Amino acid sequence: MSLGKLIERLIQLIPVLLGVSLIVFVMMALTPGDPVQIMIGDQAVTPEQEAAMRRDLGLDRPMVERFFVFLGNAVQGDFGQSFYHRRPVFDVIAERLPATIELSLVALIVALVTSIPLGVLAAIRKNSIFDRIATVGSLLGVSLPGFWFGILLLMLFAVHLHILPVSGRIGYSAEIEPITHMLLIDTLLRGRFDAFLDALSHIILPAITLGLPMTAILMRVTRTSMLEVMRQDYVTFAEAKGLSRRRVIFRHALKNALIPTVSVAAIETGSLLGGNMIVETVFGWPGLGRLVVESIFLRNYPLVQAAVLFYAVTYVLLNFLADILYTVLNPRVKL
Amino acid sequence: MKHATRALLATSAVFLVIAPDVRAADLTVGFTLDADTLDPANHRKRETETILRNMYDGILTRDSNMKVVPEIAESMTQVSPTVYDFKIRSGIKFHDGSDLTAEDVKFTVDRITQEGAMGDGQTSPRQSLMGPVASAEVVEGDTVRITLKEPWPILPAMLPFQEVVSKAFVEKVGSAGLATMENGAGPFKLVEWRKGDAIIMERFDDYYGGASDIAPVGKACVDRVIFKVIPESASRVAALLAGDVDIINELPPFSVEQVKNNPGTDVMTVNGTRSFFIAMNMQGEYFDDPKVREAAAHAIDKDLIIDKILGGNAARIDGILSPDAFAASPDLHKYEYDPELSKKLLAEAGFPDGIEVTMDTEGAFKDTAEAIASLLTKGGIKTTVQVGEGAQLSDKWRTKGAPKSGDMYFTSWGNGSLDPYDIFTPTHKTNDRGNSAGYSNPEVDKLLDEAAVELDVAKRAGMYQQAEAIVNADLPYVYLWVPQDIYGVSKRLKGWTPSADSRINLHDACVE
Repeated sequence: MSLGKLIERLIQLIPVLLGVSLIVFVMMALTPGDPVQIMIGDQAVTPEQEAAMRRDLGLDRPMVERFFVFLGNAVQGDFGQSFYHRRPVFDVIAERLPATIELSLVALIVALVTSIPLGVLAAIRKNSIFDRIATVGSLLGVSLPGFWFGILLLMLFAVHLHILPVSGRIGYSAEIEPITHMLLIDTLLRGRFDAFLDALSHIILPAITLGLPMTAILMRVTRTSMLEVMRQDYVTFAEAKGLSRRRVIFRHALKNALIPTVSVAAIETGSLLGGNMIVETVFGWPGLGRLVVESIFLRNYPLVQAAVLFYAVTYVLLNFLADILYTVLNPRVKL
Repeated sequence: MKHATRALLATSAVFLVIAPDVRAADLTVGFTLDADTLDPANHRKRETETILRNMYDGILTRDSNMKVVPEIAESMTQVSPTVYDFKIRSGIKFHDGSDLTAEDVKFTVDRITQEGAMGDGQTSPRQSLMGPVASAEVVEGDTVRITLKEPWPILPAMLPFQEVVSKAFVEKVGSAGLATMENGAGPFKLVEWRKGDAIIMERFDDYYGGASDIAPVGKACVDRVIFKVIPESASRVAALLAGDVDIINELPPFSVEQVKNNPGTDVMTVNGTRSFFIAMNMQGEYFDDPKVREAAAHAIDKDLIIDKILGGNAARIDGILSPDAFAASPDLHKYEYDPELSKKLLAEAGFPDGIEVTMDTEGAFKDTAEAIASLLTKGGIKTTVQVGEGAQLSDKWRTKGAPKSGDMYFTSWGNGSLDPYDIFTPTHKTNDRGNSAGYSNPEVDKLLDEAAVELDVAKRAGMYQQAEAIVNADLPYVYLWVPQDIYGVSKRLKGWTPSADSRINLHDACVE
């Protein structure tokens, strides 16, 4: 892909971000619920004190003015102060982001390493018992609610078997100096294998819970596309040539069968970020998803706006990545 | 399959070896929310305060019976209706080793109460919690004098909510620094704040001992305290059962039996401070008629719901105040459960065939609201429950006098100070911010206004009781109950009792 195309795609981001900003701003502003009232809670307050709080949060200004102030500051990388944390929104999000990314990546790995072999196996043993179990299993995987499945895992592995912890990212004796803020990487970089295992034990259950629906979807995509590829003439030809079945499947069929899997995986990674909100709550995972949900309920406008913008950018970039991967895997397609 | 089993066993073995090493004197609390900030003057959340209160002490505090007692102050003297003197104890140290002086206390009060005192033109969001405080001055070296703009008898009840900061430290790090660093004078000092995950504190060995009226006085018992953030209640319960945490807050009533039956855990309760009630729209189609409101009151069997749905973990109320609150009337008229009487009252009001209404509530209370709705329906008030989101419902109902739609609203109001000022006035004064029923009675307004500034304790209590009697007859709300706060605790925990103001003070807690 040429540099020109890359720049073109990046320029396309601008109207997307403007549109998303406007929609989120208007939606938040029009949603019933007053941040000042929520903040005051159940207390007696004088009208003057209430007005002072409104002024301090910048909510005394008209909506249109607030929007342009937000845009003007956002362009300079200033997303304002979180109403509740009383610190720059950017800092608050940056603190939570590594946990979310780490969890999403591990969930993605879990999904890829389980879905592809299962999908291939289901395809080459089409209509076998295994295929049927896998199909029913994938249906369950898509339909099981994350919060329910997560709690089920907790009850089994943490409460009954006592082999995995209930919540958090790492134990309290395993303190490490952060480098990338992704604990699985940092613990290894610092040579703390014990801490790495500790972090791993914390991430397993949330990653499985988060990765499960994706595993199910990818398995079905892989199975379908594998079945399609196996019907192609070149596969029949390879088999006719007398190549071993293993060689036909792995050398010839799989490479082409994986093209749709990879693009779906890239797009689904975006939805992992959304699925995080529930999984992070169940497992007390200190990520961005939980923060955004809390902020929506509290009408913490600046934080929600910045976080949604971040989600939008991530989605667009992941779609872009999917397109690039597609051209790499299938050189006949050009962007 | 054999391989899979072997792999699973091997993995399990690895994790068994690295199972989190819990130090003998670590106390972990599974807590619903993280702190918003570590700055005691820059937040409005009770959960944040609960965490901070273990690192910071206040001028005053409360004992387990909710009595206000001196903490950093040695004594409190009311000099005149608008002037209070607080003599500050000597020998108190901040965590950085510096001495706490009256200047620090004055600085703390100023920072909360003065316009723009947080820096950058910002005023503390906690200003309104300090009512009409005009100024704080240091007099005679070790005494801080707080002067009010008008008499405000609940100042002592509100002071335990504020924590004393070090003037020098705040001037050094600024409000931005104080958001993530602490230098309090409390029993524990900050080790690490893993945002969204946990706040880890360790014992402060130079602690002055805490309020002299609350035994034991001295250093904290445990080495470390960890507030671990677990927002989901099922996961909090799982963490307690698994032995990962020693205390959990907000144990759901339906998990009480499970925690009690587990050999290593138990349940502790304390009377809460949040009153639940149903607002009836007094400007609406039906509930403008007192007979219809009375019919609703007689249709609800509060005792049954407390017993069956809340597991007995609530105290019945017949007025807005908790039985533990200042000036609560013990002998208010009870509207007993009598669905036949409800139907009769409806007929008298001109609705012999009953009425059809809706009741708004938040998702968390749907089950309880459904139970109430079925009781109301039996009494002739056919009720449909509508679930909405908290802030949206608050907007719809708490309109400060503006016209509103809707029939009934199942809601609640907290009263951490246990003083009527904070709950009676906002929910019952004409057009006040919590008056979701749209109630207006000039006589009640006058009593509430006068009681707010009345210094004679007995007279003040009398005013509130008089107001409660009037409201009990006017019936803008069906008053329901005050739920208990329910905690799950590990049996290795000793010396800790839950506190009615929802604080989790760990100074006296020990673990075996």
